[in-house]
Amino acid sequence: MTGLGTYLRFEVLRLMRNFRYLAITVGFPVVFYILFLHDEHPATRIAGTTWRTYFMVSMASFGAMVAALNAGGTRLAAERASGWTRQLRVTPLPGWSYVSTKVVASVVVVLPVVCVVELTAWLLAGVRLGIGTWAALTAVLWVSAVPFAALGVLVGFVASSETAYPLVTALMFLLSFFGGLFSPVKALPAVLRHIATFLPSYRHAALGWKLVAGHAPGLADAGALVAYAAVFGLAVIWRHRVEECRAFA
Amino acid sequence: MSRSSHDELAGTTTVDQPHALRFAGVVRRYRSLVALDHLDFQVGRGETLALLGPNGAGKSTAIAILLGLQRPQSGTVSVLGTDPRSAMASGKVGAMLQVGGGSGLPHGVKVGDLVAMTTRLYRRPAPVARTLERAGLTDLADRQAQRLSGGQAQRVRFALAIAGDPELLFLDEPTIAMDVEGRRSFWSMMRCFAGEGRTVLFATHHLDEAEAVADRIVILRKGRVVANGAASAIKAAVPTRRLRFALDGADLGCLRALDGVDAAAVHGTDVVLDSFDADATVRALVQTGVTFSDIEVTGADLEQAFVALTGDLAEVQTVDEAVAPQASGSHAGAAA
Repeated sequence: MTGLGTYLRFEVLRLMRNFRYLAITVGFPVVFYILFLHDEHPATRIAGTTWRTYFMVSMASFGAMVAALNAGGTRLAAERASGWTRQLRVTPLPGWSYVSTKVVASVVVVLPVVCVVELTAWLLAGVRLGIGTWAALTAVLWVSAVPFAALGVLVGFVASSETAYPLVTALMFLLSFFGGLFSPVKALPAVLRHIATFLPSYRHAALGWKLVAGHAPGLADAGALVAYAAVFGLAVIWRHRVEECRAFA
Repeated sequence: MSRSSHDELAGTTTVDQPHALRFAGVVRRYRSLVALDHLDFQVGRGETLALLGPNGAGKSTAIAILLGLQRPQSGTVSVLGTDPRSAMASGKVGAMLQVGGGSGLPHGVKVGDLVAMTTRLYRRPAPVARTLERAGLTDLADRQAQRLSGGQAQRVRFALAIAGDPELLFLDEPTIAMDVEGRRSFWSMMRCFAGEGRTVLFATHHLDEAEAVADRIVILRKGRVVANGAASAIKAAVPTRRLRFALDGADLGCLRALDGVDAAAVHGTDVVLDSFDADATVRALVQTGVTFSDIEVTGADLEQAFVALTGDLAEVQTVDEAVAPQASGSHAGAAA
């Protein structure tokens, strides 16, 4: 157990000291939020709330996804290539804990990203919510980022160190665009609207959209995210097994 | 009650076993390829053992099994009186593996922090400062792990291997890609560490390292032990002798045809013959009537012994071509 805690702390610290990682994960959603803000009248309403609040949720969700996907994907692929994962296997740290630590660390780093986007909206766009709503929104967007964390780790196992970064970037933009994070799902053509409901990115943001509109988060959204987490998680376990059994050297 | 005390006794016996690790009839196959073919050998506590063998002889597979990274199809392996996985989990085993092209280290962390983190994974580790000192890293503790030279990264991996203060240390080709000075300083660090009563098993392609560092050498060929003993004993056991003499206008073809010769090389008037029956070769040489001079017969060096023990006949016959640089050539060089 102490080994697990030690390694988790190590992973999170390393992520938090990585300037490029922070610039991408925090910078993208904040910059997009500020850019899109200018185009809209403050009074514009959508889905039972102001557009500014709605889009804050979209960008917090986007940031959560970017943070979780990048934390696992590119770095895990690089560590597999460099031999670090093999070095860890000859320590008393159990093999499964390296993988689970990666997923947990990827979830941990989502929290600051969500908070920074919320703070930006509060400061620059005058978004005001009740303290309970802020807390619930933050907690929901944070915890429900688990499927993205698992997906990132899965990419890290499947991709090579060269292909991981483009793959993560492609996933990031496909999921965010088709999930309605950049333009509201209602503005999309019918086919795309239908596709969106199958994406974890849409389900993740939908939890937040409903919250800020004063509704309880949807069970269907939560259920879909749990299902995604389970599928990606099982795939990670499977890939990890394959890797462990693979011929050595 | 009597039963439990009996169990305790049995446990004590296991701990007091004189060997640190033991292979007994270990077989490991990869589909049709047999990597380990009834491998049998043991390493005593406190012993430093070199594992030699050509590529594909089973060295890395043997180490992977000792670390619990692979399981044998049959046979038993014991490490520190238990199975490999339990030994690894107990934190009494350290290892430095081959890492292929990479540095083997993660990015975004200082050397000192990396060693400190690894240290915390062990139950009874050495102090971090001690580990850094042993690996010659005290001055590099604040350096980022990705900004290290190859030799420095190798030292960090050595530090990670010894961070847990292991009783038993495995090193799989630890000096691969190191320059001469790096190798020298690495082995002096290693000897200090091994000198504290620890058991060390290392695989290498550098026969000089094996001879200089190891108490005992095990040579593998096609997954079996073909030699097991001190370097001097292995050399003595091999009939190969090296004959040197001077001869004008030497004919390489004729020299190769002499009784007992398995390799010949000519440099100007200097002739070098490797023979597995020196007496017969000298008699045959005299019978040819050539006027050779300054003949000298020496015993096999470890490299010749290695070639004699591990080479196929075809490989042995290419030995004299090693005078010219050779592309393949893990066995080449006996005539150098």
